Amino acid sequence: MSGDDSTIGRALGGLVDASAIERILISLAALGLSVVVGAVVVLISGWVLSPCPSAPFATLGGLGEFCYNPIEVYWVLLKGAFGSTFNLATTLQETTLLLFTGLSVAVAFRAGMFNIGTQGQLVLGALGTGLSVLWVAPVVPAGLVGGVVLVAVGLLVGAAVGGFWGAIPGALKAYADANEVITTIMLNFVATGIAFTLVSEVFKDPGSQTVQTRFVPEYAQLPALVLGIDGFSMLALVGGLALAGLVYWVLRGTSFGYDLRTSGVQPDAAEYGGVDAKKTMVSSMALSGALGGVGGAVYVLMVAGQWQSGIPSLGFDGITVSILAGNNPIGVVPAALLFGALKGGSLVIEFDLAVPQQLVGVLRGLVILFVAMPEFFRMAGIRYGYGDDEPAVATDGGTPREGGADDGGDSE
Amino acid sequence: MSAAVYLEGITKRFPGVVANDEVDLEVEEGSIHALLGENGAGKTTLMNVLYGLYQPDGGTVHLDGEPREFETPRDAIDAGVGMIHQHFMLVDTLTTAENIVLGHEPRKWGGLAIDRVRADREVRELSRRYGFDVDPEARVENVSVGVQQRVEILKALYGGADVLILDEPTAVLTPQEVADLFEVFDELAAEDKTIIFITHKLGEAMEAADDITVLRNGKNVGTVDADATTREELAELMVGREVLLEADKEPADPGAVGLAVSDLRVTDDRGVEQVRGVDIDAREGEVFGIAGVDGNGQSELVEAVTGLRTPESGRVEIGGEDVTDRSRRERIDAGMAYIPEDRQERGLVMEFDLVENGLLGSQHTSEFAAGGRIDWEHTREHAEEIIAEYDVRPPNADAESASLSGGNQQKFIVGREFARDPDVIVASHPTRGVDVGSIEFIHDRLLDLRRAGKTVLLVSSKLDEVQQLSDRLGVMHEGELVDVVDPDRVTEEELGLLMAGETPEDAPSIADPPGGDR
Repeated sequence: MSGDDSTIGRALGGLVDASAIERILISLAALGLSVVVGAVVVLISGWVLSPCPSAPFATLGGLGEFCYNPIEVYWVLLKGAFGSTFNLATTLQETTLLLFTGLSVAVAFRAGMFNIGTQGQLVLGALGTGLSVLWVAPVVPAGLVGGVVLVAVGLLVGAAVGGFWGAIPGALKAYADANEVITTIMLNFVATGIAFTLVSEVFKDPGSQTVQTRFVPEYAQLPALVLGIDGFSMLALVGGLALAGLVYWVLRGTSFGYDLRTSGVQPDAAEYGGVDAKKTMVSSMALSGALGGVGGAVYVLMVAGQWQSGIPSLGFDGITVSILAGNNPIGVVPAALLFGALKGGSLVIEFDLAVPQQLVGVLRGLVILFVAMPEFFRMAGIRYGYGDDEPAVATDGGTPREGGADDGGDSE
Repeated sequence: MSAAVYLEGITKRFPGVVANDEVDLEVEEGSIHALLGENGAGKTTLMNVLYGLYQPDGGTVHLDGEPREFETPRDAIDAGVGMIHQHFMLVDTLTTAENIVLGHEPRKWGGLAIDRVRADREVRELSRRYGFDVDPEARVENVSVGVQQRVEILKALYGGADVLILDEPTAVLTPQEVADLFEVFDELAAEDKTIIFITHKLGEAMEAADDITVLRNGKNVGTVDADATTREELAELMVGREVLLEADKEPADPGAVGLAVSDLRVTDDRGVEQVRGVDIDAREGEVFGIAGVDGNGQSELVEAVTGLRTPESGRVEIGGEDVTDRSRRERIDAGMAYIPEDRQERGLVMEFDLVENGLLGSQHTSEFAAGGRIDWEHTREHAEEIIAEYDVRPPNADAESASLSGGNQQKFIVGREFARDPDVIVASHPTRGVDVGSIEFIHDRLLDLRRAGKTVLLVSSKLDEVQQLSDRLGVMHEGELVDVVDPDRVTEEELGLLMAGETPEDAPSIADPPGGDR
């Protein structure tokens, strides 16, 4: 209850009541703190390793040697993320893809559903894109016009396939009361299995040993526009940013979004307000799946140029991105960028420094843990009714969530 | 004899507001004292200060003439102050005796184990001493709300309380349980226990208390002798102006049937039949009231009528049109307004601000969302109009609805539903938890709608409310409408009997509305 005066209660209450700006500041502070803690971890792991294989970064009399320089590690991480055109492109490539999957998870979350199935929606969306582009390509002219048509077809088919795959667990939940966490996880396996089987048995590139489709035509791949590095297209990034804005607007500015958010936070009130709960479940999961499917389309059209087995776990990373963003579509943008930067940066550390790969993983994990935890606890705090706003106290100093301090017959 | 409790100049500020402004309160030992006031008058805050939950910004708490400082409720309990909150704090799966001794368990084996036998015996003795009927071995989850409340009282007494504070103790009780509770008060007072209870119901304060202190806007506006005061005087003290306690109502002028229910059967979530063949024909320009002890099928009936629950059989008609198979949304569109029983689960989205809550139920109408795009500017104006017209406090459309007190939440819901310009209004406990001034206002608006020829179905467990407002009054018992009576001629005793499922000989039943022409 909100009148909890314990330290934990106050801390949770503070998080729940934090304003948007406070939440951003909290995230930044957490990021800073994670760097400090990470630095200590780097120092200690360097000390544990001593004597160092190469020249130690510092020696303290009596304490021993410290092999790794934490400042250097973080500096290389930063440089690795943004330091060169190539590094920047790697970072932005990951950012772009996570934008789509992060948005996918966020939409489902806002509707009160935990979509673990973005990965499956992405895999099948990617397959749909690859196959449809290959299928349409012979009938359109090569060059710019053909490229525009093929990209449009690919994106549409990717969204449609992903949306269909997302709607299945939505319908299972709405009409058969099946928990969407379970069904989406299972459907991930089904999706991967279907895609793998279809490609290996039917659509396999005859010139290749691995399970992959043929490449889509060069002109159907998204152009770099800037940076000039293959695998990253500014067009896709701008599209992703626009999509984040669009999703935000749909949630905030449309009747559909209102229904979706109301169902997400308080299903009983949504029902009272005339929201068709079942329809909303299916449609919001379809929207979520469609966003995942677009992610798959962009993966094919920007990164891989074909469907191939072993698509990276972008869908799962999207879950963390979404939590990091507080399930806010606009917040997904910085969260995806942070993830992208960590990905780009940690790749370079492994090349440039003698720091072991596992340690870089620890540093990445620390950043995610620190930045995600305040939001995570905030969500938990809301769920368990912590926090109350100033105006509450302003009216009667009571416990509003419990029905108002002086509120009489609140229950029979 | 010095006062058992003396609060001297208590001031408690919260950001932006003074909840208690130099409040003095003196309570004699062995007396029953009612703390009366509207929602937000500062009653609970004051008692939380006495109980050590809040530290006052000014003033002193005296117990038995000694100034005391309570930093936590623990200190207050040790000093003999016990508080029974509105929401009970019992462990459902433990027995009543275990709950009562919790924190003060009698021990055996050198403190290693709880002496259950002794606990049961002590609880039994305590219970007998005050005339409580509490079985020490019953699990709390299996006893009625009234008994749970007694367990709370016994728990405070077991902890050594001499001063008992009860926050809205009658809110959760049936009329019979209320009467029993007041007898308990007398027993306790006879044993020199001091009782302070918070209420906003005039009648209860007058019935149960020796003295009544009225708070308004955080100030003590007067302490009166319960035997020497009148309802009118108390209402005026509470509100600060004269209040009309009786709603002004001209004779009904009923028209065609606006809301018809025929042979309706509804089961609850567990599959138990709660509504067993109910027929209602509420007419335009009429308030059709439904009285009954809570839990006799009223909730299920209302949910089936409003489209939240699918009936097993029977029909629901709005303006002669069969809407039994229509969705909730279609019924809203057909002109049905609904003040739900549970405002925090149904009526408001607690996380949303009032602007967004003002849209609930209208989010698909062309007025607010033409082409599926919400017109936030208009929505905001709409919410602000409701806030202004229904005096919702704080008057801030950006306030999260969870931050409002219960009474203000209710006012906002009522305002929103009436603003729909409905043809049929289903009002379920419309004034539950609302203060006197707002009750008057909500009643007036309901009667305005009746005057305008709308159909009103009013469900309430407050007898005076249904009796005052209704033109015909149906009584529900175990899922059946046992009788429809004339509320002006039926006596409270007759109603009581009907609610208990018995049929008094000369109940003034009426099938048709008075003055109604078929």
